[in-house]
Amino acid sequence: MRRGPLIRILAAATAAALLSSCAVRTDQVARDPGTVRMALNGWVGYEASAEVLAYILREEMDYQVQLVRVDEQPSWQAIDQGVIDVIVENWGHEDLMELYGPGGNGTVVDGGPNGNEGVIGWYVPAYVVEEYPEITTLEGLRENTDIFRTAETGDRGEFLGGAPGFVTQDQGMINAFDLDLQIVFAGSEPAQITEVRRRYADEEPVLFYFYDPQWLQEELDLVKIDLPPYEEGCDADLDSVPCDYPAYELNKIFRAGFVEENDPAYRFLDNWTWTNADQNEVARMIADEGLDPTEAAEVWVRDNPDVWRPWIPEDFEDR
Amino acid sequence: MAVTTPAGGPGGSDPVYREQGSRPRAAARRDPAAVLRSPWLWALVVFAVLVAGHWAARLAWGGGPGFPTDTGERFMAWLDGIYAWIVVNRNDSPLFLYFFNYISVGLGSAVVLINRFLEFLAWPGVTVLGTVIAWRVAGWRVALLVLGTFGVFALTGLWDESMRTLALIITSVSIALLFGIPLGILAGRSDRFHRAIRPVLDFMQIMPAFAYLLPFVLLFGIGDPAAAVVTAVYAIPPAVRITALAIREVPQGAIEATTSLGSTPWQILTKVQLPSARRTILLGVNQTIMLAVSMVVIASVIGAGGLGDAIYQALSKVNVGQALQAGLAIVMLAIAMDRVTGAVGHGSRGTAGVPERYRLPLLGADLIILITTVAVCRLIGVEGWPRDLSVDISDPVNAFEDWLQTAIGPFTTALGTWTLDWVLGPLSGLLGGSPWWLVILCATALGWIFGGWRTALVSAGSFVAVGLLGVWGNAMDTLSQVLVASVITIALGVVVGVLMSRSDVFAAILRPVLDAMQTLPPFVYLIPAVALFGIGRVPALVAAVIFALPPVIRLVNDGIRGVSPASLEAATSQGSTGWQLLTKVELPLARGSLLLAVNQGLILVLSMVVMGALVGAGSLGFDVVFGLAQNELGLGLASGLAIVCLGLFLDRVTQGRKVQRA
Repeated sequence: MRRGPLIRILAAATAAALLSSCAVRTDQVARDPGTVRMALNGWVGYEASAEVLAYILREEMDYQVQLVRVDEQPSWQAIDQGVIDVIVENWGHEDLMELYGPGGNGTVVDGGPNGNEGVIGWYVPAYVVEEYPEITTLEGLRENTDIFRTAETGDRGEFLGGAPGFVTQDQGMINAFDLDLQIVFAGSEPAQITEVRRRYADEEPVLFYFYDPQWLQEELDLVKIDLPPYEEGCDADLDSVPCDYPAYELNKIFRAGFVEENDPAYRFLDNWTWTNADQNEVARMIADEGLDPTEAAEVWVRDNPDVWRPWIPEDFEDR
Repeated sequence: MAVTTPAGGPGGSDPVYREQGSRPRAAARRDPAAVLRSPWLWALVVFAVLVAGHWAARLAWGGGPGFPTDTGERFMAWLDGIYAWIVVNRNDSPLFLYFFNYISVGLGSAVVLINRFLEFLAWPGVTVLGTVIAWRVAGWRVALLVLGTFGVFALTGLWDESMRTLALIITSVSIALLFGIPLGILAGRSDRFHRAIRPVLDFMQIMPAFAYLLPFVLLFGIGDPAAAVVTAVYAIPPAVRITALAIREVPQGAIEATTSLGSTPWQILTKVQLPSARRTILLGVNQTIMLAVSMVVIASVIGAGGLGDAIYQALSKVNVGQALQAGLAIVMLAIAMDRVTGAVGHGSRGTAGVPERYRLPLLGADLIILITTVAVCRLIGVEGWPRDLSVDISDPVNAFEDWLQTAIGPFTTALGTWTLDWVLGPLSGLLGGSPWWLVILCATALGWIFGGWRTALVSAGSFVAVGLLGVWGNAMDTLSQVLVASVITIALGVVVGVLMSRSDVFAAILRPVLDAMQTLPPFVYLIPAVALFGIGRVPALVAAVIFALPPVIRLVNDGIRGVSPASLEAATSQGSTGWQLLTKVELPLARGSLLLAVNQGLILVLSMVVMGALVGAGSLGFDVVFGLAQNELGLGLASGLAIVCLGLFLDRVTQGRKVQRA
């Protein structure tokens, strides 16, 4: 049977050809044409940006927009998998850029700054500063950690951590600054905000991880603690970080394939930039006035045509 | 969760307790030797040893050593390595190109297509279709309920979200049944296969849903595909278990008769076993759907759209009223689906009264109505329910919550502080601060006392495994929270259950409340719990109790109502008071149900560990959430497995000396 091996090779080759012709990549999932899929990370500022963009895409440019609610890190993964086209507000994540960006998988492209500036830091309510004016400094904080004691942390001061998906280096800072604090992980942003509001209503002291732009900053009078400013590389060892968080120039992240298609939707998102004040205006309508996000976006779009008109690509009508 | 049948946890389907020790306590009191044989006495001894050991260790070494973490760290690093490999190779490796990606693309497309079909029908079409199906299979009462459910979808302004959730549920329930029923049939016909698959099902039911979200996201991608798979995985155990049970319950005589007539095994299956097991299998389908409904909400964390996402979005704005509104839509969906499938399972068919020859024309008439509705809608361009025509209940709900917070907030906060200082703190210190080997020894002893040597082995094994996973400290903290929440749940559950069994009126009022409590996604009441009790372990405890209470109440009530009237009459005629009747006759006779209630309570509390982490419970649950949010597979999965180990221990110890199931 000399033909045996030959047949086997042929069969194997046919099988291989068959298989390679129907290899499936994750971005081949059924999807409606003319749909933009936007990641929706879990804070209201992000939602404000996303909803305004979605509104303009829907109403002015006749696209369908799908907002997919996922955490920060998984949304990068989703772009890599091809199920999301854009993240509209990204905070740092250089490690992920290395992994998925042009140097790694090549599935993700940095879309440049969106105009918002982000600040992360440790905050206390203003009434705490009134009572302990020195607390906004590192030394003052170190001496007064005992005012933050709660039943949960016993004889150490309580530091209320942020949601698990957020960028954090709190434990490293506590170690490096030698503070008698214990982190209580809020576990989710709504839980953290609820707790801060509760303490605020009772004028109880609270020290917590927070950030700006954030709508709660408008509702409550919060003061950021002055810590030694960020320097390049001071956060290299996460067990000991002797500096504050860096200031973030928030940027957009695109799926590489979305950029290559060079669709008007992409060029619109690429053109878009706005300020913290713009974002806060929409975020406040959503969170504080309880407006439906789409309605809030509509109000802003109606009031600010001179801001958003230039974002729409010139050759859009030719589509 | 289940609405009609409370048995959901491992071993829930067939509780067969050995009679030993189930005689009334009155008898035990008369016999001093029996006191020595009481497991509770020995459990107390074990506890005393633990406390003594704890203090000894504290005085001698200033606190017990934690379990060494090297193995655990290596295991986590290994998992992280797998994660990194998958991320890089997802669109190159044949394993993904020809297997996982097929599934994920197929499922993702299925959800999109079903959703498009529902959109094509437009809201009047869907409503007509749903109501007519419900009417035909379950009668006009259920049809009205279904109509009401669609009404809630429309009036809450959540029509589109509801349709998306419906599409996801249809997809995942189809997968679950596609695999679950054949597996169940296999398990029903082969003892060996049954034995092999049972521990797998147990494992699946104890594993917290959050813990396996990340691996599935990794394999199937974020969004609908992974959501469909996790929902199917979560919902499959009852389909397998109940199908197997149904096949086994088919009378042996019927099978023998057909065999002697020369039927092939295939004929036996299709002509005898399946038809006579049909009703029970449908109950399994019912359970599967219920679990799918509850999982669909959790799946919103990994990007599944729909009602779960609506809840999640409302919560991120701390808008409890809005979340409750979406929660209400889920509750209605669950109850409607339960009643429809339940009615099919119980055989009460809406069209049973219709003579055979009218059925076909009737079906034709239904179809014509449906087609006309859809055609008219498409012609005049109706699609989703107009959002302007919705009723917003969120403002009054939020106002109520604010009022509640000011009214009882100080009291509840004080209660929370007290619980932390006097119960949770000390217990957590006791478990976490004792030498690890002493804790393992005590767990083993408890296993031996309550379940014999086999359980002792399982207990020892699961605690050692927790240590090897490298999360000993967190696991002890979680265990202390679970124990406290379970004790509260069971105590409350027994009291309310007894009251419910005493009064039919109270029971009738309570039942829909329990239905709603069981189907309301826990996300909804997490935030009010924080508002009332402050962040930390206490609100998590409260949420766990709310979640686990309904099945416990039901089981206690069912158990007491199941006590034979003859024994009651006998006791009454001997002049027993109401209290004596309860403690000497009813509770002892309902022992089987009570034990099952304890077991279910523990397992359900455990399943809330991860939810609790969302409001500051920390420990294992937080690491699971953190792993999911920060893509740390090692930490997330190791913590999830540790929760399974704790669950295995709690489950086996409370299952007691159960007769080995075939």
